[in-house]
Amino acid sequence: MSEFLIHVAAVSCLYGILALALNLQMGFSGLVNFGLIALFGCGTYGAAFAHLWGWPPLAGLALGLIFAALMGLFFARLGARMSEDYWGIATLSLAEIMRLVFTNEQALAGGAQGVSGLPVSFAGLAGQGAGLSRLALYAALLAAAFVLCQRITRSGFGMALKMMREEPQLARALGYDLGRMRAIVMVISSLMAAVAGFLYAHYLSFVGPEQLMSHETFLIWSMVIIGGIANNWGVVAGAFLMQFALAYVPFVKDWLDMPSDFVAATRLVIVGGGILAFLIWRPKGLFPERIGGSHG
Amino acid sequence: MIEVQDIRAGYGDGPDILGGISMHAHAREIVTILGPNGCGKSTLLKTVAGFVTPRAGTVRIDGQHAEAVPIHEKVRHHGVGYVPQTDNVFRTMSVAENLLMGARDLDRQTREERLDAVMAQYPSLANKRRRKASALSGGERQILSLARALMAGPRILLLDEPSAGLSPAMMHDVFDAIARIRDEQDMCILMVEQNAFEGLSISDRAYVLNLGKVALTAQAQALLNDPAMERLYLGGAPAE
Repeated sequence: MSEFLIHVAAVSCLYGILALALNLQMGFSGLVNFGLIALFGCGTYGAAFAHLWGWPPLAGLALGLIFAALMGLFFARLGARMSEDYWGIATLSLAEIMRLVFTNEQALAGGAQGVSGLPVSFAGLAGQGAGLSRLALYAALLAAAFVLCQRITRSGFGMALKMMREEPQLARALGYDLGRMRAIVMVISSLMAAVAGFLYAHYLSFVGPEQLMSHETFLIWSMVIIGGIANNWGVVAGAFLMQFALAYVPFVKDWLDMPSDFVAATRLVIVGGGILAFLIWRPKGLFPERIGGSHG
Repeated sequence: MIEVQDIRAGYGDGPDILGGISMHAHAREIVTILGPNGCGKSTLLKTVAGFVTPRAGTVRIDGQHAEAVPIHEKVRHHGVGYVPQTDNVFRTMSVAENLLMGARDLDRQTREERLDAVMAQYPSLANKRRRKASALSGGERQILSLARALMAGPRILLLDEPSAGLSPAMMHDVFDAIARIRDEQDMCILMVEQNAFEGLSISDRAYVLNLGKVALTAQAQALLNDPAMERLYLGGAPAE
């Protein structure tokens, strides 16, 4: 297996975790979060702060998880005060505020320069051993996240989440506390996103504010929309599909002998065009949600 | 069971929709709220339910203040069941799933027992238990939403226009089901209804609202026989 394929597969696993987190929020619960990348950033900057302060990497993970849980709760509290569409805009704004703060505050994790030199996991292994070990770790965590999401969405709580998504007023009328449900979903999915962020930081050995650009959020959205909203298998497939599609853009550039700008522009076209095309021609994605069937 | 005293309520910064309404309803009683469009019927029901917080006045359930208690708390702790007028089923869920979601806090065995009891009570639902709720007729959906409210074992049922959009035959089935719930389960039922004749025919008492106030209250049978009531609110021939 080539280094390149190992790399793309490893990154796909991390984005698969992010896609599952967004799917739990947006797909199953109807929480239209355009600020998912901020929750991912809690994980990356948890790793960065731990590195700067000389803490062991696992302390960075704990820090990132705490940041993410608090931010997820904050998002959920905001959601109780505003309608769904305004909440979506608010989450996008919060993620942008976070990125701008980390870009402009030099004293805070290096500002625009970011933090480099984070220890890379399995760095001591020779040859492809390190890459394959990382891939195995990420794949195992993706599988764990997948099982967790499947268990949640197939439980009574998962049915209640779908009720919240479809008919929130009716769910309240049946005694469901939507504020509490929203908080639980946001915390669980925020923790998942933070784990992906922490691993990503130690994979690249670098954390910087450009990792929090809003187009990263829309890349994760494209994975969910193309894979199949509210289908856990689908969004993981969407993550791999999109990552591999984006990874091959540089080869297309070389083949067509296009300038370097072509790569970035084409990636944006693939994400934006993919979202648009699927929303128009196949809004349920490649693997549509399975409806009903859990009770007789 | 329900005592409403001098309630004033409205939406946002808008004017009062309810301008000081008092009413009550007891166990084993169907109380219907009637009146022309825009008189505040649904707002009154939503205020009692907890969707709307009153600006003044009190709502007591079993003697306890409940005016600031949100709907989900009323359902859990005050034995209230609420059936909205529209969007009252989860369309992508099966009939059985819809029913089970109404029994939120019960253990698995009790839920299954309640499900069996409700299926026995409403054979039309039992025959379609695996079918998606979106495939049901309007009357069947209304019966499903009623039956789902019963799954939690409420003592008070709040119904918002249960006959809305139904054919006369379906309407008859739905009202028949409501009357049976009162008779067999000693339930307190507060119902908003546009179809005054059908609503009154199964009711014990009624309140007629006009411009956010109680214009008239009486036994249902007396209202059915009142010519002024017929002329003003029940669509009868105008007075000469």
